[in-house]
Amino acid sequence: MDISTIVAGLLTMAILSFLYRDNPVYKMAESLLIGVSIGYTLVIVWTTTIVDLMILPLFAEGKLGLIIPLILGLLMFSRFHPKTASLSKLPIAVMIGSGAGVAIPVMLEARTLKQISATVNPLVSASGTPDIAALVVLIGVLCTLSYFYFSREHTGLFGQTAKFGTWFLMLFFGTTFGYTVMSRMSTLIGRMEFLLSDFLHLVD
Amino acid sequence: MKRIESRHWIFIGLFLLIAAVMLLGVELNINPSSETQKMYDYIENLPPGSTLMISFDHEASSLPEIRPVALAILRHAFSKGHKLVGLALFAEGTVIGYRLMDRVATEYGLEYGRDYAYLGFKPQYIAAILSMGESIQETFPEDYLGRSIDEIPLMNGIYNYDQIGGVISIADGSLTTHWMEYGAARYNVDILAGVTAAMVTTYDPYLASNQMQALVGGLRGAAEYERLTGRRGGGSRGMLAQTTSHLYVLLLILLGNIAFIRSRRKGNN
Amino acid sequence: MDRRLALIACFVFGLLMFAQYFSRHPLARSVNLAILEYWQIIFAFTLLVGVASFFRNSLSAMRNRGERPYRMVGLAGLIAMPVLAIIWGIRADTPFMWMFENVQAPMQSTVFALLAFFVASASYRGFRARSLQAAILLGAAAIILLSRSQLGGAFSDVVTPVADWIRNYPSMSARRAILIGIGLGSLTTSLRVILGIERTWLGGKQ
Repeated sequence: MDISTIVAGLLTMAILSFLYRDNPVYKMAESLLIGVSIGYTLVIVWTTTIVDLMILPLFAEGKLGLIIPLILGLLMFSRFHPKTASLSKLPIAVMIGSGAGVAIPVMLEARTLKQISATVNPLVSASGTPDIAALVVLIGVLCTLSYFYFSREHTGLFGQTAKFGTWFLMLFFGTTFGYTVMSRMSTLIGRMEFLLSDFLHLVD
Repeated sequence: MKRIESRHWIFIGLFLLIAAVMLLGVELNINPSSETQKMYDYIENLPPGSTLMISFDHEASSLPEIRPVALAILRHAFSKGHKLVGLALFAEGTVIGYRLMDRVATEYGLEYGRDYAYLGFKPQYIAAILSMGESIQETFPEDYLGRSIDEIPLMNGIYNYDQIGGVISIADGSLTTHWMEYGAARYNVDILAGVTAAMVTTYDPYLASNQMQALVGGLRGAAEYERLTGRRGGGSRGMLAQTTSHLYVLLLILLGNIAFIRSRRKGNN
Repeated sequence: MDRRLALIACFVFGLLMFAQYFSRHPLARSVNLAILEYWQIIFAFTLLVGVASFFRNSLSAMRNRGERPYRMVGLAGLIAMPVLAIIWGIRADTPFMWMFENVQAPMQSTVFALLAFFVASASYRGFRARSLQAAILLGAAAIILLSRSQLGGAFSDVVTPVADWIRNYPSMSARRAILIGIGLGSLTTSLRVILGIERTWLGGKQ
């Protein structure tokens, strides 16, 4: 067995030890994980963005326009001192403003209009029979939306509609729970396969 | 020493059950679902030599579940003679994506730079998705191996999404949503996804509205895909354990509810 | 800094990004690319600020003797990664990537795998049909779990179509309604941010 598998196997066992209870071995592994993860992200972001997108084009190719994001980026560090902290609002404003500007047409087109248009389907099929599925979707969307409409009290017919909406929500949550169980079990199966096969050699 | 509690027995039960089933080594026959079939058909029906983009948009935490999905899709795409351009929009997907592509390309005797390329990681995924719609070369001046993008033969003539047959996002979160909302809506590129099972219901409306062309979900999806391609892998191997763990959870729900009903009756009496 | 400057910057960049969406003019494209590049670079700096903050917090927490060994291990991991990257680089098959593949990835995926045990425990302890709504949730979950198990035979032939129907129509419609709600909410919030009505991101008084 190579050293990589031994290290990965022992660290896997250290994390699994949490199942008994919180213990120093687990806490040590957890701290290592946090440190290494942050270190990994730091290095990757530094290389792929700070160096590749800013330092090299600015200093090697003379793209002087990049001084603007450099200054804005450096202003972020002003947060560490109370007297200068307000300077960091400028880069945040640039990010939030451009993010909001991009989001408006996208949210309208891709998330709202496309979903509404997919909901409004003919309720009768070409052969003249009612399309039950299209009807269920239309009712489901309207009732669920009515549940989230808080500008009017949920009483009377509107209250009933909103309550019916919660049934659709429960079906969604139930379905999602089922798939989440699947997902967690899949991850466990993957780790068990590593332990039984690569680490302990009990399975081929 | 702390006493063994009821939850510990539940943990031990799950651990032993999965271990025992894996030691059996039995593989089940899986019936493919319609959405997995759609992914298969999409890749199958593309003209040979088409260029697909595969984006590794996941963290290391979901690797055990996502790897079989990615491998099954990569094997199918490479076996059909398609060219693949890989990238990662999560830092942790960077080397994982490279390893997976390299491994499958080696299985099929394919050459880096001609049959596939790996661009590496780009942070701020929304900006990266939008930026590639304008220019892939400017977004990724170099590939993962440090070569200038202009020196990669595969990338000659590929400037933006207009030259890409479709984007396959391998994801464990909502990043595929951004591919649809920024990539597909703004630049009309087809989006397909291989995701963890937990994300399947998140993407159902997009699948129904045709904003997403196909979806392969979790280990089960991988097993279905392996069945379609006829090449067994991690998905098929894990299906008996998956089925057993589902039944175990259902049994626990049942027992919990029986205990609940009994205690309520006792309370009434 | 004057709050007005931040609000003006927010408005200008928001308007520019909004307007360029509708244009295919080369100037609009280059403005789009430039702002996206700014965006990525500033985002990278925010991560650096986060790392510096983690460093500061860890150092101050080391005054607590009980915490010290864990904080030291965390900082050692954080420092080791850049050092390895500087010496050997970050491509595949370097010590940096070895750390990722054999230390970080196995631990991170195992932390995630722990959830399987807690899901199992929660299924026994908390997943109870206390009301009609809870029973609907429980029933849907059970049908989905059964359908995604490979039980075979006539049982699967009945359960799978029912599960697919629940997922594709009623469940999907609820998710769609949530999406539409999020879409409308994001749209109005974005507009309020650009127009300077929504200012909570500036912090302090409104």
